[in-house]
Amino acid sequence: MEDSNMEKKTQLSSSEQRRVLYRLLSYAKPHKKEVTIAFLLLLLTTVGDIVLPILVKIFIDDYLTPRKLDWAPLIILGSIYMGIQVAKAILLFFQLVAFQKIALYIIQQLRIDVFSKVQALGLKYFDKTPAGSIVSRVTNDTEAIKDMFVTVISTFIQSGVFLAGIFISMFIMDIKLGLLCVIIIPILVLVIVLYRKYSSKYYLDMRERLSQLNAKLSESLQGMSIIQVFRQEKRLRAEFADINEKHYGAGMKNIKIDALLLRPAIDLIYIFALIIVLSYFGITSFDTSVKIGVIYAFINYIDRFFEPVNQMMMRLSLYQQAIVAGSRVFKLLDHEELAPAQNEDQQLCIGEGKIEFNHVSFSYDGKRDVLKNISFTANPGETVALVGHTGSGKSSIINLMMRFYEFERGEILIDGKSIRCFSKQELREKMGLVLQDPFLFYGTVKDNIRLHQKEMTDEQVEAAAQFVQANTFIDKLEGGYNHKVVERGSTFSSGQRQLIAFARTIAANPKILVLDEATANIDTETEEAIQTALAKMRKGRTTIAIAHRLSTIQDADLILVLHQGEIVERGTHQELLSQRGLYHKMYLLQNGLSQQVEDVIL
Amino acid sequence: MKVFLELGWFFKQEKRAYISGVIILMFVALLQLVPPKVIGIIADHINDGTLTAGLLAEWVLVLVAAGAAMYFLRYYWRIQIFGSAVKLSKILRNQLYQHFTKMSPSFYQKNRIGDLMAHATNDLSAIQQTAGSGVLTLVDSLSTGGFVILAMAFTISWKLTLICLIPMPLMAILTSWFGTMLHKSFYKAQEAFSSLNDKTQESIMGIKVIKTFGQEMEDIEDFRRQSDDVVQKNIVVAKIDSLYDPTISIIVGISYFLSIVFGAKYVLNGELTIGQLISFTTYLGLLIWPMLAFGWLFNIMERGSASYERVSALLKEEEEIKDTPNAIDKAPFGDIDYQLVEFTYPGASQPILKDIHFSLKRGETLGIAGKTGAGKTTLLKLLIREFEGYQGQILFGSHSLQAYKLDRLREAVGYVPQDHFLFSATVAENIAFTNPSASKQDIEAAAKLANIHEDILQFTDGYQTVVGERGVSLSGGQKQRISIARALLMNPEMLILDDSLSAVDAKTEEAILSSLRENREGKTTIITSHRLSAIQHADLILVIDEGRIMERGTHESLMAADGWYKEMYLHQQLEELVEHGGQ
Repeated sequence: MEDSNMEKKTQLSSSEQRRVLYRLLSYAKPHKKEVTIAFLLLLLTTVGDIVLPILVKIFIDDYLTPRKLDWAPLIILGSIYMGIQVAKAILLFFQLVAFQKIALYIIQQLRIDVFSKVQALGLKYFDKTPAGSIVSRVTNDTEAIKDMFVTVISTFIQSGVFLAGIFISMFIMDIKLGLLCVIIIPILVLVIVLYRKYSSKYYLDMRERLSQLNAKLSESLQGMSIIQVFRQEKRLRAEFADINEKHYGAGMKNIKIDALLLRPAIDLIYIFALIIVLSYFGITSFDTSVKIGVIYAFINYIDRFFEPVNQMMMRLSLYQQAIVAGSRVFKLLDHEELAPAQNEDQQLCIGEGKIEFNHVSFSYDGKRDVLKNISFTANPGETVALVGHTGSGKSSIINLMMRFYEFERGEILIDGKSIRCFSKQELREKMGLVLQDPFLFYGTVKDNIRLHQKEMTDEQVEAAAQFVQANTFIDKLEGGYNHKVVERGSTFSSGQRQLIAFARTIAANPKILVLDEATANIDTETEEAIQTALAKMRKGRTTIAIAHRLSTIQDADLILVLHQGEIVERGTHQELLSQRGLYHKMYLLQNGLSQQVEDVIL
Repeated sequence: MKVFLELGWFFKQEKRAYISGVIILMFVALLQLVPPKVIGIIADHINDGTLTAGLLAEWVLVLVAAGAAMYFLRYYWRIQIFGSAVKLSKILRNQLYQHFTKMSPSFYQKNRIGDLMAHATNDLSAIQQTAGSGVLTLVDSLSTGGFVILAMAFTISWKLTLICLIPMPLMAILTSWFGTMLHKSFYKAQEAFSSLNDKTQESIMGIKVIKTFGQEMEDIEDFRRQSDDVVQKNIVVAKIDSLYDPTISIIVGISYFLSIVFGAKYVLNGELTIGQLISFTTYLGLLIWPMLAFGWLFNIMERGSASYERVSALLKEEEEIKDTPNAIDKAPFGDIDYQLVEFTYPGASQPILKDIHFSLKRGETLGIAGKTGAGKTTLLKLLIREFEGYQGQILFGSHSLQAYKLDRLREAVGYVPQDHFLFSATVAENIAFTNPSASKQDIEAAAKLANIHEDILQFTDGYQTVVGERGVSLSGGQKQRISIARALLMNPEMLILDDSLSAVDAKTEEAILSSLRENREGKTTIITSHRLSAIQHADLILVIDEGRIMERGTHESLMAADGWYKEMYLHQQLEELVEHGGQ
């Protein structure tokens, strides 16, 4: 949703566009040295470009026309010409590389900034924004900006300097003609402005049509069985053909605009410039003699004047796209929904690990409370189990506990102090969470247990795996701890993934354990290993556990039964069974014999 | 060149546009020779002091005429050639779409939607480029190159032309060599980019794990390392890419140098005038593009040819489910007689359904229960002929399903699939999917039957609210009920609900089922459901397990039988109770 809204808003005002451009350019600041060198190289190559025709002019005017053929100066002149030619080519290479490098480093910095920002955002943001669109911001949008830096901006700078050089040289050779040639500039500017105005409009229109076309196609492919079973093929073909026709129309309009204002127009201006130069020399020649070399040099300059202009105009659409992409990236960078803040100044440490919830209420959307007045205490080393139907609020308790979301009503205390008083570092070190769907990263089993903690030794990794008995299956894997984990660990069973996640948590050795038990079916063999591991892990740690299989938490010190965000029953397993309430029914559902079930239902 | 032959049908179809475009293109190539020539002539006149105001005006006029003519002709051939290319992609896109609508589900099992999309977008644009820029590059580089060389050789000096052309082939060779290198390194850079993409994707999917372990900084560090790799590989690309311009500039520079050195010699000999020498160097500038174009042309054609092959392979796929020659052109009605011996999905080794035998009188309701993957949906898909090739036969009325025209068979069936798919259109348009001209009353009546009318009125724009992928998001239950309304609008002879009440609560389910019972008197209904409450009133209930009928009967007889059905039924009742807090 967010994404499609963002894509739609492609029309930026020109002041917005300028702001985005300046902000993008400001990324060049840390590379002042490289930029200076690149510009220096650019100046040198441009000087080369400008000087070469002048050498030919000297040759024509001083040697060829007067038929003065001294070999020595001619050889020198020729060597200088080829020398400059070669030197220019070499410098040109380094100059081009230098500009591209700067662009690449700028984009890398931008990418890292966006990625870091994403890491700093609160989970709320991730709930609202599809993962695909966040990934798009980090990679694809920055890639579009890269194209702009690499091709558009460097082309603009190079062309701009080259054009300036040509004008300076023209002025030096013949100030009057130079002035006359200045007329070309407003004409060019006019064409560029016109082109930008119309092409950006028609180009956007075509992009819009294309995205409609693709959306229609993609939707039809997804819903093809519906279309076929309801016999709507003909109607949809007609609808598609209609959009296709409109896209064709937009495409034709673009071709026309390009044909009117792009290359043909620039070529026309070239002829116009030629006419100015030739007429000027022609008319001058009626009164005074004109040097042929100067004519040559001017014609040569004019010849090369327009190629950069063509290049610049062809890349305007890239510029447009990059600015739109840039504005999306900056929107993310300016996003303010950060992760809940901690008080980083105090050096508080979690000691015993006593957890208290006092009258905590919480809502994700500010409208509907998913937690209502939750209070409980988990004493050091005790296990508190949360049970309840889907949507009863169990996961929300863990989300608050882990500080994934900020809450306003009530308080959560650890060792008697507000959870907000502990530094982020301290919380992450002392609290370990095992998620319901243990996410495995691409890499090896070892990487997945160690995560980014480089200082953890292989022995520690293996010890952690042994502790949760994950070693039995890991040892059987090809390569053992170096076994490759494919994307999201899809080659492992959910039980095996769970065990690796356990090992990961144990390796971090937390004081407080937060467990979100897997709902998925787990094969009996692994199930047993998981139960043993869980019991071992809980020993000596304060544990908050969400349990789906009630059998796993029968020995919990306190079981909280949640329903619609409220604690409706609390007590130990035996106490709750004897109440014959909700817990009893849940227990029967999982373990009951059909006779007992019948007694409850009928 | 092969791709141009394969696209021959299109060039023939658009021959007027292409022939006129190509002729104009060649004419423009000829006109391009005028300005350098005029420059030379005027320069000579100035040099000789023979220029008069009249002469100057004459030549300027020639330039004006040539310039204006070129402008219009260039505009015109672009419209002809590029316009035709856009037309080609439009035609192919329509063909592909039509073809897609004819393909049966087995085609969609073989081809992923993403791939099909890629064919319809990337491949078509490569083909469009071949028919546009490809044709242009071929004609233009040949004609411009040819004419310029001819003009240089015949109007100035063939000796000088030969000398200057010596370094040119080197340019073609070097640039095509750079092209291959660039291709390779670009591929590597793309790979690095896509692994950075994967890394980002993974970090975002696993953001909870990262936050839990407080490893944001480490993950950012990892990202930085990978982005370093992207930068390094892109620098390789940049270096190769940066070889082009210097190479071209040095080779063209040599050509210029040769032309001036030898040209000067010929001027001194009196073989050439200075003006001709200037014309010559200007012509040389016109030669750069045709030399570069050949490498580029090769690239375009290679891509276009591969793309066209893929697209035509898709278009050649045969329709799998066709009407028999004398198919009945009437919608079926009557009893269902399902006598299936065995059905195996194409490509699968195990049969999915075996020995399914039952009959259903017109107007009766059939309930089908069973675990996920038991074969319930397959049983229904055979009824709407999404798949064929089973042993046994299924009769609808007194004829087998294959005896009817597919279109007429489906006219009799209202199908509500498991995955409730809605289109990005208004609620009203979605409900009136089978009949866009349905009246407001009909649409609302169907919505009321499906128990969604009240919900729709609560939406911001009521029946005009846009739903689907690009519209407001609805709950699963709302989507299901809209798909039910969509099927009900047809008032079909046979209504099929394929687990389509799974996301609505028990009360709504009961309301929908009872309104169906009232309004579908005399018409057949088939319901598959995970939840047994949805089928307990059916005239016949089948319990399917691993493709076979495990239990059959009515709710009463099955409850008495003490089997899977009873156990499941009680379990679900208890579940319902727990969901409601035990009361």
